Amino acid sequence: MMPLTMAKAGESNSIKRVGGKEEIRRFLENLGFVVGGDVTVVSENGGNVIVSVKDSRVAISREMANKIMI
Amino acid sequence: MPIKIALAGNPNSGKTTLFNALTGSNQFVGNWPGVTVEKKEGKLKGHKDVVITDLPGIYSLSPYTLEEVVARNYLIHEKPDAILNIVDGTNLERNLYLTTQLMELGIPVVMAVNMMDVVKKNKDEINIQQLQKELGCEVVEISALKGTGVAQAAQRAVSLAKSGEAVMPVHQFSEEVEEALHNIAAQLGNVPEEQKRFFAIKLFERDDKIKEQLQSVPDVEPIVKAMEDKLDDDSESIITNERYVFLSGMIEKCYHKRNRQKLTVSDKIDRIVTNRWLALPIFAVVMVIVYYVSVSTVGTIATDWANDGVFGEGWHLFGIGSSDYNEVAEEYDLASLKTEAYLEAAETAGLDTEALSQSIADGEVDQAALSAFETEASAAGITAEAEVLDDNGEVEETLPVNLDEFENAVAVSEPDPADYGVWVPGIPVLLEDGLNAIGCADWLSDLILNGIVAGVGAVLGFVPQMLILFIFLAFLESCGYMARIAFIMDRIFRKFGLSGKSFIPMLIGTGCGVPGIMASRTIENDRDRKMTIMTTTFIPCGAKLPIIALIAGALFGGAWWVAPSAYFVGVAAIIISGIILKKTRMFAGDPAPFVMELPAYHWPTVGNVLRSMWERGWSFIKKAGTIILLSAILLWFLQGYGVENGSFGRVEDLNNSILAVIGGFIAPIFAPLGWGDWKAAVASITGLIAKENVVGTFGVLYGGLDEVAENGWQIWASMRESFTALTAYSFLVFNLLCAPCFAAIGAIRREMNSAKWTWFAISYQCVFAYAMALCIYQLGMLFTTGAFGIGTVVAIMIVAALLYLLFRPYKEQNELKVKVRV
Repeated sequence: MMPLTMAKAGESNSIKRVGGKEEIRRFLENLGFVVGGDVTVVSENGGNVIVSVKDSRVAISREMANKIMI
Repeated sequence: MPIKIALAGNPNSGKTTLFNALTGSNQFVGNWPGVTVEKKEGKLKGHKDVVITDLPGIYSLSPYTLEEVVARNYLIHEKPDAILNIVDGTNLERNLYLTTQLMELGIPVVMAVNMMDVVKKNKDEINIQQLQKELGCEVVEISALKGTGVAQAAQRAVSLAKSGEAVMPVHQFSEEVEEALHNIAAQLGNVPEEQKRFFAIKLFERDDKIKEQLQSVPDVEPIVKAMEDKLDDDSESIITNERYVFLSGMIEKCYHKRNRQKLTVSDKIDRIVTNRWLALPIFAVVMVIVYYVSVSTVGTIATDWANDGVFGEGWHLFGIGSSDYNEVAEEYDLASLKTEAYLEAAETAGLDTEALSQSIADGEVDQAALSAFETEASAAGITAEAEVLDDNGEVEETLPVNLDEFENAVAVSEPDPADYGVWVPGIPVLLEDGLNAIGCADWLSDLILNGIVAGVGAVLGFVPQMLILFIFLAFLESCGYMARIAFIMDRIFRKFGLSGKSFIPMLIGTGCGVPGIMASRTIENDRDRKMTIMTTTFIPCGAKLPIIALIAGALFGGAWWVAPSAYFVGVAAIIISGIILKKTRMFAGDPAPFVMELPAYHWPTVGNVLRSMWERGWSFIKKAGTIILLSAILLWFLQGYGVENGSFGRVEDLNNSILAVIGGFIAPIFAPLGWGDWKAAVASITGLIAKENVVGTFGVLYGGLDEVAENGWQIWASMRESFTALTAYSFLVFNLLCAPCFAAIGAIRREMNSAKWTWFAISYQCVFAYAMALCIYQLGMLFTTGAFGIGTVVAIMIVAALLYLLFRPYKEQNELKVKVRV
């Protein structure tokens, strides 16, 4: 398991765990970050990352990305 | 009873486009009660009895964002007759996550699969029949952008609403979860049958806000707890997972992706546009283009046209003839300069010029007086020197004038712009003619022309420029770049409590604060938006430049650094305010960590861009008709009326006006800032109409001049008598940072959508400006003259308080908290 921030751009990974405070985790789950789902880092900028999840592109801050384990 | 249809869907699913296509121009824009989330309603085209409500874009019916709570409350309480659920066909799974929740509400649902044109272009296939069967609702293919299938979708929703059939959700979760839900539902006695599933699931998720909506809440904790222990997960995640498991299975049956390309075109653009190295340069280029067109070039032309043309004397249609006119007008200006210089020289030499001067001023040269004068002047051998002045009042050129040249110069008559091209007179000119024609009372035509038209016109003059800017904003927004801007700039702005999108209002604010404030509407987060609105006008706008030029020219000998320092003060004020405010209780608490969906890049349609431009422009124009109109009338009265020659009435001299009395009254407040002179106080008040008025008021008060150049060089000398460099700079800082003009205050009111917040913003700006100006003056005095007094102590205390507020510990909360009355 490693945080999403460590993932190589363009590589598809399966989500193992979503951490963080409850509200944040719920919000991420509603956006499609669910355990078992696939996630791909599209681009990275100053620590913030753009990922592809459930066919949509979501930008998240590094703090959030660190809480998503793959 | 009209039929109510709610339009629901994810953000970026094309919901607004569909709403516009369905309702056309039959829209009413307002706010959801108690919150700043925009509410739009409209009548369905061709169906007067069908009202469509555009719900906020949401991902789920959970209680974690303001939008979700608003949408959920509407669906539960208002019980629309049908839901039109729009889903993005290119991103089906995530969009259907919301659909499964909408289905549980017991309201008939019609699903419109949007962006079918893109799906087909990608050679993907969606099995609509299968989708219909799996979800248990009607499914229609549409393309909101192209308008295909839109009418059909609406028709289905209308007929479904009329039939009033409650639908039951078809989708099932795993057996054990279904059993738990069934047990909970059995305890919901007084809930309508069709809503039971929704409430059962919400109770299972331990959704507190839902409990408040039930008359009696059954104790379901044992069921939930047992389930959690069994599946080793919290109840909410269980439901989320169940939904996605159901959806993944269904997607496999209904959705066939032809080419599973890893990177879409949109991703490839993002690789470049949000690239670590290229992101900022590309952003800078985009911003320069937006700024250059909407503020410097086309925007300035539009504003000049509106201010000097429509609300001025008039303009040349399509600019035809205006260059010819300008050439002739310049010639005339030079000629009258020569005439004046020559007459002055003659007068000094003892010649009688009064009759001639008067006739020239009246526009009809008295030929007899002229020839008599010429004979005398020729006998006296008078020559003169005409001085051509530049913008700063310095002599640029000296032209000798002899009698021959004087004769030629007198012969040049003042050109009439109407003789060149197609001349359209301005509104004030037309109104004046009209009012004169009907014999309107003097005071009334004065009120209309100098109060209302001049005041409101000064504000409406910015509308063309704003519209140009709004086109750009609408384009950047609907093509998808705006979301990327937030992504790129977020880390920088987050440090002082603002959002990545705050950059745009501030950049635009350098041109005019009004569109700047209105541009803040693209910021979704409530806290970020309010902070941006409050700080945007700290940046010196175009109208503040004349004040800067006046102070720099009069007291600093035109030093180069004064203007840049004004921008520096503005930026520093934003950063300081941002850091201070984000630590206050008002703003702490609900900052959202950065998570946002980035829509795929696409070309917006002309219609949508224009509509968005017009919506924003119109809401401003309406404001100009109310709050700004009243303020303009009030200030006109204060400025123009007072006690003169022992009786109250219209005064010629501003010195006798009520405003001067008020100025004298409040002037002592500004004494600690170094400019306790009532003239400066009055100038600051007139700055509320438009900031450039400060210079004009100074012209009247310090020079007795009706008109001064933009930088007011005519009064530099007399200003040097009343101000020192330090007091002038303190005055400048106060006027840069204090409450903006009425137009901007109106925009703040519009965007805050709350009188309380508007007052808070204005008060904060004034207090902050006062504190800054006080520190500058008092500490400046301490360092330059060593003067030490109560003021100095207060200034030191303010600095200490500021440093405390800036550096006190603060932890950005990583929570999404929404406080809403449910």
